[in-house]
Amino acid sequence: MTTAQWRDRVGRIGLYTLIVWICLFFSIPLLVVIATSFKTSAEVRTFSIFTLPASPSIASWIKAWSSACTGLKCGGIRVGFWNSVRILLPSVIISVAAGAITGYALSHWRVRGANIIMLLLLLCAFIPYQVILYPLVKMVSTAGIYGSLAGIVAVHVVFGLPVMSLLFRNFYVGLPEELVKAARIDGAGFWRIFAFVMLPLSVNILIVATILQTTGIWNDYLLGLIFAGRDNMPMTVQLNALATTSTGEIEYNVNTAAALLTALPPLLIYFLSGRYFVRGITAGAVKG
Amino acid sequence: MSAVFVTGLSKSYGLLRVLQDIHLPIDSGGFTVLLGPSGCGKSTLLNAIAGLEDIESGMIEIDGTDVTQREPSKRGIAMVFQSYALYPTMSVRKNLSFGLRVRSVPRPEIARRVGWAAKLLQIDELLDRKPSQLSGGQRQRVAIGRALVQNAKVFLFDEPLSNLDAKLRTEMRVELKRLHQELGVTIVYVTHDQIEAMTLATRIAVMRGGRIEQYAAPDELYEQPATLFVAGFVGSPAMNFLRGRMVGGDRPCVAVGGVNVPLNGYRFRSTPVPGQEVILGIRPEHVVLTSEGSPDGLAEAEALFMEPMGADTLGWFQCGEHRVSARLIPHSARGLTGRVRLALLADHLSLFDPLTEFRR
Repeated sequence: MTTAQWRDRVGRIGLYTLIVWICLFFSIPLLVVIATSFKTSAEVRTFSIFTLPASPSIASWIKAWSSACTGLKCGGIRVGFWNSVRILLPSVIISVAAGAITGYALSHWRVRGANIIMLLLLLCAFIPYQVILYPLVKMVSTAGIYGSLAGIVAVHVVFGLPVMSLLFRNFYVGLPEELVKAARIDGAGFWRIFAFVMLPLSVNILIVATILQTTGIWNDYLLGLIFAGRDNMPMTVQLNALATTSTGEIEYNVNTAAALLTALPPLLIYFLSGRYFVRGITAGAVKG
Repeated sequence: MSAVFVTGLSKSYGLLRVLQDIHLPIDSGGFTVLLGPSGCGKSTLLNAIAGLEDIESGMIEIDGTDVTQREPSKRGIAMVFQSYALYPTMSVRKNLSFGLRVRSVPRPEIARRVGWAAKLLQIDELLDRKPSQLSGGQRQRVAIGRALVQNAKVFLFDEPLSNLDAKLRTEMRVELKRLHQELGVTIVYVTHDQIEAMTLATRIAVMRGGRIEQYAAPDELYEQPATLFVAGFVGSPAMNFLRGRMVGGDRPCVAVGGVNVPLNGYRFRSTPVPGQEVILGIRPEHVVLTSEGSPDGLAEAEALFMEPMGADTLGWFQCGEHRVSARLIPHSARGLTGRVRLALLADHLSLFDPLTEFRR
C-alpha cells in the first residue's frame, strides 16, 4: 500500500472510533435505564449500574404497570396511562382540526387583519408558557373547568393552536391560489372547499401535526400537574409521584421500567410514522 | 346586445392604480381578447368580472343583470386558469362534475354533460385518471371541459395556453377557435401573446397601465392603431417608427430624413399643422425594394443584414438616422448588400403625435 492509502485508512479508523465513542456517550444513560429495568432489586443494590442483568426478568415492568404504589394507591402506572390517553385523544383531535381550519382561513381567504393575527400567533408560539400560568389558572377556574378533563384539554388546545395554525398556514400558502378560485367559481363555499379540495391534499401535514401534538401533549408534565386535577393525573405526573414516593426503599428497577413505559408511546409513533414525518416536513419546501 | 358590460371600473392596490375607469362592452357570442404586457391589469380585470377580485367603483353586468355584488358562483360564468387548477386528488370525471355536484344537478344530467364535454374535447379515454397522470395538453383540455359542463353564459380564460410548449400551443389555439365556432359561446380571453390575440379574437382590447388603449377588431387594430403603444405592441416583426415633420402645401407630406413621403388618402383625425413633429409608423411589409420612378416616398438606404424566416426574409436597412426593417421575398433578399432604394407605401402608414402618443 502507498503512503497516501495508509494515511487514508488511518483517517477512516480515527473517524469511526470517534463516531462509536460519541454513540456510546449518548446511549449509555439509556442503556443503563434499560438494563436496570430488567434487574431484581437485590441486583440493583449490590452491583454497579453498568453491569448487565444476570437473569433478565420483566417482573419490575409488570409491577410498574399494574401494582406500583404512588402515595396510598397501588394501581401501577396504568392508571396514569389511561388518564393520558383520555387527555391526549380530544386534545390532539381538537387542536389539529382547529389549527388546520385557522391555517386554511388565514392562507386562502381575505381575513381582515390577517397579518396582525399571524404576528400575534407567531409571538404566542414563542412565549414560554410558564410566564402566563397564573392568569391562565385564574381564567380556567373562572370558566369553572379547573381541575377537570375539560380544563386540561382546553389548555392543551389553546397552547397547541399557535404552532398548529402556523404549520398549516405555511403548508396551505404553498398550494396554488387558483385551486380555491376554481372551486369558488364551481360554487363551493368555505367549508366545502376545505373538506373536498384542501383536506385531501393535507394527509402528510396532518400526520406531522398529529405527531407533534401527540408527543408534546404526552410528554407534558407541568400543565397536567396544574390543570388536570387529582382524578386525571397524566402518566408523567404519576411517574414523578412514583419516583419520589419516599416510603420504604427506592425501587430503581420499577422506576426505570415505569419511565420507559411512559416514554414508549411517542417513540412508537416516531418509529411507525417517521417516513411520513420527514416527507411532510420537506413537502412544499422542494417543489414550488 | 352585450353579454358582459363593464362601466367605470377602478381598482388600486395601495397607491398603485391597477384599473382606471374601465369601460368595456363585450359582444354576445364574441371572442374578446384582453391583450397587454404583464402588469397591465388584464388579469385583474378578468378576475373582477369573475368576482374573484373586489373592486372599488364601477359596475359589472352579465347577461343584462347587475352582478357587481354577487359571488363568483352566482354570476353565470366559468373560468379556465393558466395553471389549470385541476383538483389534484380527484379523477378527471370528478373534476368535471365537481361544480355540478356542488349545485346538486341530478345524476343523469351530470353524466350526460360530462359525457358530452369529454367527447367534444376527446378526453373520454382519460375520465378515470388523476390529473398527475395527464400531459400538459390533456390537463388543459380537462380544465376547458370543467368550464364547458357549467352551461355558463360567459367563459373566462386566463392565459390558458402560456404553460404549453410552442407546438401544442398552436394546436390548442386552433382547437379553441373550433370550439368557439361550434358552440357560439361568449369568451373573454386574457393573453400577452399578440399572435394568439390576432388569430383568435373577434375584438381585442389592448391594455396598458390599467387603461384600455384601443378596443377594436383585429384588422382595425393592426391597420389603424390608435396609439403609439398599440402600434408597437401588435404585429411581429414590429412596426418601424421614424421621426419626421409635417410639410404643408396642397398635398400634405411628411418629411423623414431628406425624403418627403406623400400623405394622399391619409385619414387625419386632427387637422395637420405644417412644421409639426410627428412619428411615422410603417409595418415591415409596407417597406419595399424599388427601382427609380416609383410614386411613393423613396429613400436611399444601406443594406445591413438579412434574417430569413422561411416564407419571407426580414431585411434591415440603415436609412439616414433610422434603422428600418422590411419584409422581403426570400429570393430578392438573398445576397442583398450595398445601397438600395426603399419605398414606403403611403396607403399603409400611421402618424402619431410624439407628445400625446395618439394617432393623428
